[in-house]
Amino acid sequence: MDGTQWSSGADEARAQLTAALTAVGRGDRAALRQVYDMTAAKLFGICLRICGERASAEDVLQTVYIKVWERAGQFDAARASPITWLATIARNGAIDWRRSVSGRTVRDTLPEQAAFAVADDSPLADQSLVAAEEGEQLHRCLGELEDRTRLCIRAAFFDGSTYAELATRENVPLGTMKSWIRRGLLRLKDCLGDG
Amino acid sequence: MDDHLTPTEERDALAAELALGLLEGQTRADALRLSLSDPAFAAQVAAWEAKLAPLHDEWADAQPGAAVWSGIERQLADAPTDKVTAIEMRLRRWRAGALLSGAVAAALAFVLITQPVPTPTPAAPQLAVARIESDAAGPLVLARYNQSNGLMQLRIHGFEPGTLAPELWVIPEGGTPVSLGQIGHAGEAEMTMPPPHRLLMTEGATLAITMEPVSKTPHPAPSSVAVASGKIITI
Repeated sequence: MDGTQWSSGADEARAQLTAALTAVGRGDRAALRQVYDMTAAKLFGICLRICGERASAEDVLQTVYIKVWERAGQFDAARASPITWLATIARNGAIDWRRSVSGRTVRDTLPEQAAFAVADDSPLADQSLVAAEEGEQLHRCLGELEDRTRLCIRAAFFDGSTYAELATRENVPLGTMKSWIRRGLLRLKDCLGDG
Repeated sequence: MDDHLTPTEERDALAAELALGLLEGQTRADALRLSLSDPAFAAQVAAWEAKLAPLHDEWADAQPGAAVWSGIERQLADAPTDKVTAIEMRLRRWRAGALLSGAVAAALAFVLITQPVPTPTPAAPQLAVARIESDAAGPLVLARYNQSNGLMQLRIHGFEPGTLAPELWVIPEGGTPVSLGQIGHAGEAEMTMPPPHRLLMTEGATLAITMEPVSKTPHPAPSSVAVASGKIITI
């Protein structure tokens, strides 16, 4: 699975993934392997970035695909793109781990700011797994926020940072950080419009 | 710093915080519980996940080791035996049953749906009832609980059979969800509640149902949002 494969036939890839995920929902194990082959690199990227080290990220990734197996019957292609549905499960799984006792223990032993390759603030013109228009609108609206607010929201999304971690990082009181982000999120919502 | 958010904005900000993963500790537990008991809040969280979804384009790919897939396969290979045991266990705990007769169920539905509530005779054992439902025309479970002997009876409608099973939770006001075990997809079921759980069946507590992986034992915490919920009313 690589980026070029997606960009050369994004719609076709999406349709294939939707079909495979739907088959998983019917209990088709071969289809789960297909979903894994199509998405493991993407979902592992998510787990690795948020967990911060390979062994834990691999454990989390395993539980993510078990959840996919168990929940695929609930996937509704009319409501979400398959890759968004999968990425959300992976990100939530990694954040659950990071908030757990074992996650916090492991994280405490990691060097600060472990270097992983997602830029702090650089929207990529990427592989259109997600509808391009929605992406443009979100990036435009994020761009209207104050720089520090946008960077903190991005850090929360990509690093799985908590309010407390962001406040420490920016060296501001917790209340200030909450206020920045809450106001930023509500402005973001206004900009995106309801729906 | 006081931002003077309206209650509506406050609730929406909480949904955004949960979707973004900013919360930890008790605040996170409270927000997760709210998303379980309140389908409207759960929908707000999902809406925020959808708003932020374009960011998923930006993750850098990374290759997991081959052990990950073998681990998944191993877990799946264990699954069928688990499922059979789980069903047996479930049947043992929740006897699909004749005891909630059609007439009783009809009377229960009458109590739940119509006004006024019939005056209970003083000698009658105290009953608690709940109508566990979703906003949409989704699943519906009618629950009837006899406080004198701990017998809980259910009438279950409208769950799609699939890889997940409906699991029933009781959520005390201001407390965390406690599993009452998995129930069937349709029909009637009953269970004598273990004494510690009886204390939770009070007026104002919420009964909720989430779809969970089939398990022979009740889960310690829900893994997904409630598909149906309702308040307990004592009569």
